[in-house]
Amino acid sequence: MRTQVVLLAVLSLILSRPAGAAGGDGAYSVANIPASLLKNAHVVKRMEVERFDLKNPGEAVYSIKYALTILDEAGDDYAEFAVHYDKFQSIRSIDATLYDANGKEVRSLKARDIQDKSGVSENNLIDDDRMKEHNFYCRNYPYTVEYSYEMKFTGTMFYPFWMPLQDEHVAVQSSQFIFTCPADYQFRFKAFNYTGQPVQTQEKDRKVFTWQVGNLPAVTLEPYAPELRFLTTYIVFGPTQFEMQDYKGTMETWADLGKFIYALKQGRDQLPENIRATVHQMTDNEPDPYEKIRKLYEFMQKNTRYVSVQLGIGGWQPYDAGYVATKGYGDCKALVNYMYSLLKEAGITSYYTVIRAGRGRKSFLTDFPASTFNHVILCVPVKQDTVWLECTNQTIPAGYLGDFTDDRYGLLVDENGGHLVHTPRYGLRENLQVRHIKASLDEGGNLQVQANSTYDAEQQDDVSGLINTLSRDKVKEYLHENLDFATYDISSFDYREKKGRLPSVDESLAISVSNYATATGRRVFILPNVMSRARLRLKEDTARQYDVVLDYAYRDVDTVEISLPAGYQPEAMPPDVDVSNPFGRYRCSVRLLGNTLYYYRLREQYSGRFPATQYNDLVRLLELVYKNDRNRVVLVKKD
Amino acid sequence: MKSRPLLILAACLFIRLVSPAQDKVGFKYGEVSPQDFLPTAYPIDSSANAVVLADVGSTEIVGNNNGWFSLVFKRYTRIRILNKNGYDAANVQIHLYSDGRLEENLNNLKAVTYNLDNGTVTQTKLEKSNVFKDQLDRNWFVKKFTLPNIKEGSIIEYQYEIQSDFIHNLQPWNFQGDNPVLWSEYNVSIPSFLTYTFLSQGYQPFFIKDSKDKTMSFNVAESGGTTATERISFTAGVTTYRWVMKDVPALKQESFTTTLKNHIARIEFQLSEYREPLEYKNVMGSWKDMAAQFLQSEYFGDPISKPNNWLDDEVKPLIATAHSDVEKAENIFNYVRDHFSCTDHNRLEMDQTLKALDKTKKGNEAEINLLLTAMLRYARIPTDPVILSTTSNGYVPPLYPLVSRYNYVVARALINDQPVFLDASLPHLGFGRLMPYCYNGYARIINTEATPVILSPDSILERKVSSIFASFDDKGNLTGSMEQKLGYYESMDIRDRIKEKGKDALISEMQKAYGTDARIEGAVFDSLDNADNSLSMRYDFKTGQTKEDLIYLNPLFAEAWKENPFKSAKRLYPVEMPYAMDETYLLNFTIPDGYQVDELPEQVVVKLNEKGDGRFEYRLAVQENSISLRTRVVLKRTFYKPEEYDMLREFFNLIVKKQGEQIVLKKKK
Repeated sequence: MRTQVVLLAVLSLILSRPAGAAGGDGAYSVANIPASLLKNAHVVKRMEVERFDLKNPGEAVYSIKYALTILDEAGDDYAEFAVHYDKFQSIRSIDATLYDANGKEVRSLKARDIQDKSGVSENNLIDDDRMKEHNFYCRNYPYTVEYSYEMKFTGTMFYPFWMPLQDEHVAVQSSQFIFTCPADYQFRFKAFNYTGQPVQTQEKDRKVFTWQVGNLPAVTLEPYAPELRFLTTYIVFGPTQFEMQDYKGTMETWADLGKFIYALKQGRDQLPENIRATVHQMTDNEPDPYEKIRKLYEFMQKNTRYVSVQLGIGGWQPYDAGYVATKGYGDCKALVNYMYSLLKEAGITSYYTVIRAGRGRKSFLTDFPASTFNHVILCVPVKQDTVWLECTNQTIPAGYLGDFTDDRYGLLVDENGGHLVHTPRYGLRENLQVRHIKASLDEGGNLQVQANSTYDAEQQDDVSGLINTLSRDKVKEYLHENLDFATYDISSFDYREKKGRLPSVDESLAISVSNYATATGRRVFILPNVMSRARLRLKEDTARQYDVVLDYAYRDVDTVEISLPAGYQPEAMPPDVDVSNPFGRYRCSVRLLGNTLYYYRLREQYSGRFPATQYNDLVRLLELVYKNDRNRVVLVKKD
Repeated sequence: MKSRPLLILAACLFIRLVSPAQDKVGFKYGEVSPQDFLPTAYPIDSSANAVVLADVGSTEIVGNNNGWFSLVFKRYTRIRILNKNGYDAANVQIHLYSDGRLEENLNNLKAVTYNLDNGTVTQTKLEKSNVFKDQLDRNWFVKKFTLPNIKEGSIIEYQYEIQSDFIHNLQPWNFQGDNPVLWSEYNVSIPSFLTYTFLSQGYQPFFIKDSKDKTMSFNVAESGGTTATERISFTAGVTTYRWVMKDVPALKQESFTTTLKNHIARIEFQLSEYREPLEYKNVMGSWKDMAAQFLQSEYFGDPISKPNNWLDDEVKPLIATAHSDVEKAENIFNYVRDHFSCTDHNRLEMDQTLKALDKTKKGNEAEINLLLTAMLRYARIPTDPVILSTTSNGYVPPLYPLVSRYNYVVARALINDQPVFLDASLPHLGFGRLMPYCYNGYARIINTEATPVILSPDSILERKVSSIFASFDDKGNLTGSMEQKLGYYESMDIRDRIKEKGKDALISEMQKAYGTDARIEGAVFDSLDNADNSLSMRYDFKTGQTKEDLIYLNPLFAEAWKENPFKSAKRLYPVEMPYAMDETYLLNFTIPDGYQVDELPEQVVVKLNEKGDGRFEYRLAVQENSISLRTRVVLKRTFYKPEEYDMLREFFNLIVKKQGEQIVLKKKK
């Protein structure tokens, strides 16, 4: 009996170590790292084996083992183990070992060292996310941590992806991904930056695909570069048939995925009687369909708020419309479904549209159906036009999407499945900021400023957020702390919102700035650009590697009039500037007419993808803007 | 500790006599009328998003079935939500504790939302199924819910009870919060056999503060497993204390505030004695009693008072070659700091043994500094642990031995009879240094005397000296060389930045401050790897400015104060700065041949106040072909009352103005 136990232990030890990369025998010695991988690296991934075994269309086991050598203090964060799990993905068999620089085992993990914590997102009232955490907190650099664990998938809508080079300053010595499934199951994958094809083998009645990379040197991220995953080896996987709780689906086409999502939301559009009556009361006598939509949307905004409860299938299935009507809250799915139901009652057809909100608007893979979405919005076709509704925001105007969901693909879902659609893009024409300043300077250098600004489209997002989420006192406090003056007081402020599909905000500020101009004896030094000084500066890079991607285009126009105390004449005036290049345009000029200083500034930034070789043109344009925005006028008292 | 306001008030506050009509909250749970929806704003704060109409709590002590006593805490809250930004008030979280054996229970939770629909009040109740539990970690869990059917103008109410067997943790009460409160009331009934010390703080007056006596019976039962249940009943006098505040403004976050915990209107309780019919015991005791407990505790003093001969292997090589006690102490300190990782900086005791720590090489700051203490003692250097409360944890009352208010352990060694404070839990902190967050007033040395020490931020000085030689080179470019000695904490910051991003990135940042076409070359750092000392650096710079007929020169280059750190026009709470400062800047500028001075800034010397807590100097002199400038900013005091705010703001306004002034040179005709 005893022998058997020992034997089993040895066996499991052998089994848990992939061939060729066993630790403990010095394999993790730092001496075994090729010099090319140490360059520019804080961390070297010594080995990684990820194995995804699809047992059947509804279940899978995902086993992960990796070893990271932490070269210096800046790499410490990677030594931490933190894995999320939930109702569909449970975690088990966590093992870990710490090795010193020579690859000698220092200690291994004890089960009680693993912390189990709530992983409930700040954004949610409740969800079922939890975390396992562990850290050796080693300080003797370099050191190596080796972790292995297993996740059991009981929902298979989401397959893992493989991206060996996960961050900058991390080199990869070896990484492998193995995908196995029953021989008769078809899975899908799409590879980026992987040369060759996976190795295909057979294990009994299962097929096995293996991808492998090695010796990937560390990269350094560059500002405005494309997303890292499209610059390195990256493989996405997806199911054909899949299951989530009691729901089955297929995912070979976007229409397949749309059908599944449609089935989850179908029949959840029953409104209570009183709400139906309200809908008719509000819309029956309104001939303009856009007005109908606006009225119902504002009704929805007034009577609901965003509260997110994500438990089990509830993470993917909306609460029904009746629930939202009585509780007055819901998450994005529930609120969109509610809005859909209101419109339906008014005889307007709309479409539940799943989308990936937030960053990475350009990284959507149109040719690889997968559920990478994290948000839902509503698409309402009106005549030749489309009105988009963001239902989780109580103040945004009907038909306007901010930079959270603009300019990207989403999956519109209908009874036939669905198809990809593209949300509106707000560009140079729309994203406008026009500011006019009238100011007067006194003998002591203090400036009284009246600044009237209009912000349009995405230029109004921040201002609109400010005035809609803060009380008037807090807005005042914000203004008192965030303007680019040394010492100043806000004497009055006012905001007016013009809601519409292209919203805008008018801002009026009266500010008194202490010592705005520097007065030294006979001279006065004054910046004619009072409130629109650019802050962004980049560093020139002669070895830029990646393309430059600019997402956001805008135009700022400034006019300034400053009346001066009498008796000054110009001694030094900044030159006029008018420069443009593919990245944008900058113009400014300043004149002194009588006792008034006039200033004009135009700044345009264009969006697009530009070759790496042009990067320094962007840097120089920004630098030119930065410098000229701070050019001062020197005035001297007439003798 | 100069002029810090008396935060902990003695129990002798002015008691206000009130007529019966206005001494109670004017409504009950469930009673909401259409008139209650009339106000669209409340005079206390016209811009409030939500107003707490009433927040009423009580705690009673009752006998329980575990042979001891339990706390029963009840709370009733009514809130008016005025607009969408006030919706957060409808999300409620109740934090509860469990020690693995006993658990706090949430009972009788009720919550309801009232809306006014066409002149009638409608109710929507919270359903039980919408109360969620989230287990935060082993000991803490939270019950959370959100009220249904919230609209602008809604009134919400909720009430609940918490039953707790942890009588040491009598629930404190915050009279103040994120929203203004019209009526905040707490009633605490304390039986004569338990004594609690009351600690109240903040700047808001009590509207009512009184007490009433009565008699109550207590039933305590204990089942001994196999033996029959024992029951004891007795009566005892009970005093019910009542505190009410009216019209309490919302708390506000301001810059230069260590923590709002120091300013919130709040009362809390510390169990101090058991009395008849219980066996008398002084639970809180004196500082000496407390220190004795610390000294005996297996999680604190006991392990460091043993001979600890097992440390020999580690300590011996560290002291073998040392020639003095200082050197011994430094070697030991460096060893502990460089070989142990700190996993938590907020602990007052050990969670593992010293030996376990020595093996795993990771532990909390208390463990690491206790090991440091043990090693220093082993090397025969007298060392004691010191307990303190960090700035973010808030001030501690100086008189009471309230251990729960302390959260951090450092060590104090006596080397050649000089006290040296040590913290080996931070990888970049040097010998004899503590972080500014440790300088928070009262601390206690854990020795038999429980010696008090004061760690005042006024006692740490960030001293910076910058010196520039500048001139136009033969190609007409403005160039210079800088020599700078930084303050200790700025040095730490620079070291961290270099560790994180590298020297080149730092230099490129510094370069930007000299202008758009500026270059920094030949940068040399002294003491970069020596965490004990402040950092010095030297470099040459080229500004990109060229020699023209008229030369405008800001003589401060990159060293000027460009922004007033005190931006806000108003101040509610005191200004607390992390340390005192003394910045000196020296310039020697060579006037180029063929040029003459056309204009110079005027000299000024300004004192912050009569006492000279701060001083600003700006002195210029022209000698033949050079201009020399000396400007200095000194702030000796770190704590300023709100009424001193304007003075501080004006002081920095002047500094920014002066340091922005220009020298003008003109080509001779």
